[in-house]
Amino acid sequence: MSRPELKSDISYTKGLAALALFAVMAAVLAGAPFGAPQGFPDGANLTASIGYAMFNVGVDQITGATLVASEGFLVAFEIIDVVLVAALAGAILLARRETGDESITAVVADGGRELERTLRGDDRSEDESPADDGGDR
Amino acid sequence: MVPPQWYLLLAAAVFCIGVFGVLTRRNALIFLMSVELMLNAANINLVYFSQYWGNVTGQTFSLFTLALAAAEVAIGIGIILVLYRNFDDVDVTKAVTMRW
Repeated sequence: MSRPELKSDISYTKGLAALALFAVMAAVLAGAPFGAPQGFPDGANLTASIGYAMFNVGVDQITGATLVASEGFLVAFEIIDVVLVAALAGAILLARRETGDESITAVVADGGRELERTLRGDDRSEDESPADDGGDR
Repeated sequence: MVPPQWYLLLAAAVFCIGVFGVLTRRNALIFLMSVELMLNAANINLVYFSQYWGNVTGQTFSLFTLALAAAEVAIGIGIILVLYRNFDDVDVTKAVTMRW
C-alpha cells in the first residue's frame, strides 16, 4: 500500500539552482518599473475579441461593435493545427507495439483469453465447452 | 488592479517550481508535469499583461501556448511509453545513450 509522501531521495543541491533562479528573478522583478495600467474599456466583449483576433477579423461581424485591440493570429492558428495533428500522429506512432504481427493487438484486446488458450495448449474454444461438467477446472 | 510585481513573482515562483522538479526528480511523468508548470507560468504573465495594457493579444497567445503544451504532452507520453517498454522503468537517468 502506498500513500502520498514527500520524496526524500532527491538531490536537493540541484534544487538550489532553482531557488537561486527565483531569488534573482524576484530581486529584478520587484523593482522593475511599469507604465500606468490601461485596462480593458468598460463593457468590452473579451471573449468575442479573442475569437475574432484568432481569425484576423477586426470588427464584430454581428453587432458591428468595436473589439479590443489585438494582433491577428490566423497564421499561428493554421500552424498550431498542423503541429497538433503531427504530434498526435507521432504519439500514436511511438505508442504502437513494434511487432510485425498485427494479430497480437487483437489477442490482447480480447482480454487475453485467446492468448491464455494458446499458452495452455488448449484448442477447445470456450464457447463450445460445457459451462460446468464437474471437471477439474 | 493588483500591481504587476505580484503577478510576476507568482509566475516566477511557479516557473521555479517547475525548474526544481526538472532538476531534482527522475520520474519522466513528473518531468512532464514540471514542464507544464513552466509553460503555465508564462501564461500567467501573458494573461495579466493582456489586461494591464488593455489588449487581448496576450490572452489569445496563451491559448496557443496551451495547444502547444497539449502537443508536447502527446509526444512526451509516447516517449515515456517507449522508455518504459525498453527499460521497464520511467527513470530518465537510465536512458543515457542515443542508441541501444
